[in-house]
Amino acid sequence: MSIKNFSPYVPRPATLVAKKQLSDYVTLFTFEQDNGKPLAHKPGQFIQLSIYGVGEAPFSISSPPEQKNVFELAVRKIGAVTQALHSIEPGQKVAIRGPYGSFFPVQQFVGKDTLFVAGGLGYIPLRSLLRYQLRHREEFGRIVVLVGTRDPKERIFTDQLERLSARGDVELLETVDRGDETWKGNVGLITTLLPKVQLDPVNTYVAMVGPPVMYRFVIADCRKMGIPAEQIYVSLERRMKCGLGKCGHCQINDLNACIDGPVFRYTDIEAYQEAI
Amino acid sequence: MTTTYTVFQEQLPELFRKWSKEYALYVPAAAGGGFFDLRPWREGLEVAWEYDVAYNPPKRFLLPPRETLVRYDLKAYTAEPVFEAPKQILFGLHPYDLKAVNQLDQLMESGSPDQNYMRRREATVVMALDPLTVSPTAFWGSIGGDRVNHGFDLYWTKIGPASFLVSVGSAKGEELLLAAGAVMAATAADREAARRAKLRAAGLARANALKYNWEETPRILGRSWDSPIWRKYAVMCLACGSCNLVCPTCYCFDIREEADDRLEKGERFRAWDGCMLESFALVAGNHNFRPKALDRYRHRYFRKGKYIYDKIGELGCVGCGRCVRACTAGIANPLAVFNELWEESGNEY
Repeated sequence: MSIKNFSPYVPRPATLVAKKQLSDYVTLFTFEQDNGKPLAHKPGQFIQLSIYGVGEAPFSISSPPEQKNVFELAVRKIGAVTQALHSIEPGQKVAIRGPYGSFFPVQQFVGKDTLFVAGGLGYIPLRSLLRYQLRHREEFGRIVVLVGTRDPKERIFTDQLERLSARGDVELLETVDRGDETWKGNVGLITTLLPKVQLDPVNTYVAMVGPPVMYRFVIADCRKMGIPAEQIYVSLERRMKCGLGKCGHCQINDLNACIDGPVFRYTDIEAYQEAI
Repeated sequence: MTTTYTVFQEQLPELFRKWSKEYALYVPAAAGGGFFDLRPWREGLEVAWEYDVAYNPPKRFLLPPRETLVRYDLKAYTAEPVFEAPKQILFGLHPYDLKAVNQLDQLMESGSPDQNYMRRREATVVMALDPLTVSPTAFWGSIGGDRVNHGFDLYWTKIGPASFLVSVGSAKGEELLLAAGAVMAATAADREAARRAKLRAAGLARANALKYNWEETPRILGRSWDSPIWRKYAVMCLACGSCNLVCPTCYCFDIREEADDRLEKGERFRAWDGCMLESFALVAGNHNFRPKALDRYRHRYFRKGKYIYDKIGELGCVGCGRCVRACTAGIANPLAVFNELWEESGNEY
């Protein structure tokens, strides 16, 4: 047995450098790794973030891979760790380990069209891939972004979405499940956006992240449009605790979302009853 | 050929004394109420040679119910690993428990090797013992849990009223066996006696048996996802996790932490968790990926009968029967579930 004087459970410090509220409950956090190194993640991966004295929880990385030691997480205030995270201020520290998990195979997307399907907070991990593609815009074909949110108040990254649609080289369609007096756009589930875009299905790769209930319907619609099943990528998030494929919490049948996922090619998980 | 020795019962107290100077030594002993368990050896403690099953599975020696992984400093925001690996001898593990230990070894070492587990394992000496009696709920005889040929340092088989054949599995084991002076090399007759004792042991647990070859279990489960059996049993499940707790191969854990009352220092530890507990697959926002007892009950049987097999080629159930006995609702029973599924599948295998 190979025994090392190293524990994968020991996190390393990172410092909060900026904090920006995105909605009532969601905040964008920018961190710097204290070791000065880039996080060296790929789009779709996650980290385990610790607030000592409170706990540790997994978060998707929202920023694209960077040369610098900064990275971003967008986090909804919903449990113990996220409450504590919202209460810290720039200059204070957290601890992280990772990045962990599989990622979107961005090289396969080169020269192809990409359809992003972001339901609710699903935009957060997809943003990493999207921003990577925008930085290398010329390498990719059309970029179509569908964003669905429960109601207008919960929309996140609204200024960035505005800039996206203003660029001219990204087709952005947004909808909310329930509108209100301020909302002038589409109303309806994210599946109602799909018929509004004309795609070249054989040439399109799909990157999809959203609430559990979303996948089945959107995948079915993508298939009906003629997008090959093996060109559909989803991120399935579960309760990743250890991040190392050991603790059992994130199992999808016999897959571990933390090491086999969170990003899966649809054809690799379609036979798994617990996946979608 | 395996090195074998013949050891007499009268030699054991001296060996136990020697060993216990350097190691925490655990031996099977009565635990009250007609139960047995591996208990710390002390002078005069009577070894329960005829124990049927240890109440607690051996995993607690390698993956303790609570194990500190990291100590941290909240002020400096630093952290360091914690490794604890007491030297210990587990004496008298039955083969099905040895098999469970071997399985944990394999699963914990694969992928990202679990350093905490491996250190404990490295500091642990395993001495197996062929059973002389069988627990009424056990079925290891038909599920491949009766023969294990690796993972032990010494393997003891009772061949006479006060004599044992001891097979050497490692240099460390042999060194420990010879720690109190010379031991007789086994004769051909002793080895023959041990062979017969092993056959007897293997026959013990045949009263409760799978009705088919155990290797077919993953294929039977493969077509049983929608079987009515899951509902039939799961409606009675109290989600207490007793089956997880006593299972020698269940190793799922939670990671939690505690800080001191001045919020200066703290530790992060792992603690046993169980897939039958309602919160096991619960995520933020109150979404539960296995909300129903049926989902959880089925997951456990799939893990034991298929998922583990697909990874390492053996079942995740060793047939010890502990869960059958521990289940508060009387529904944990791999033997009954697997047999019923086999019958349901038209006895096809």
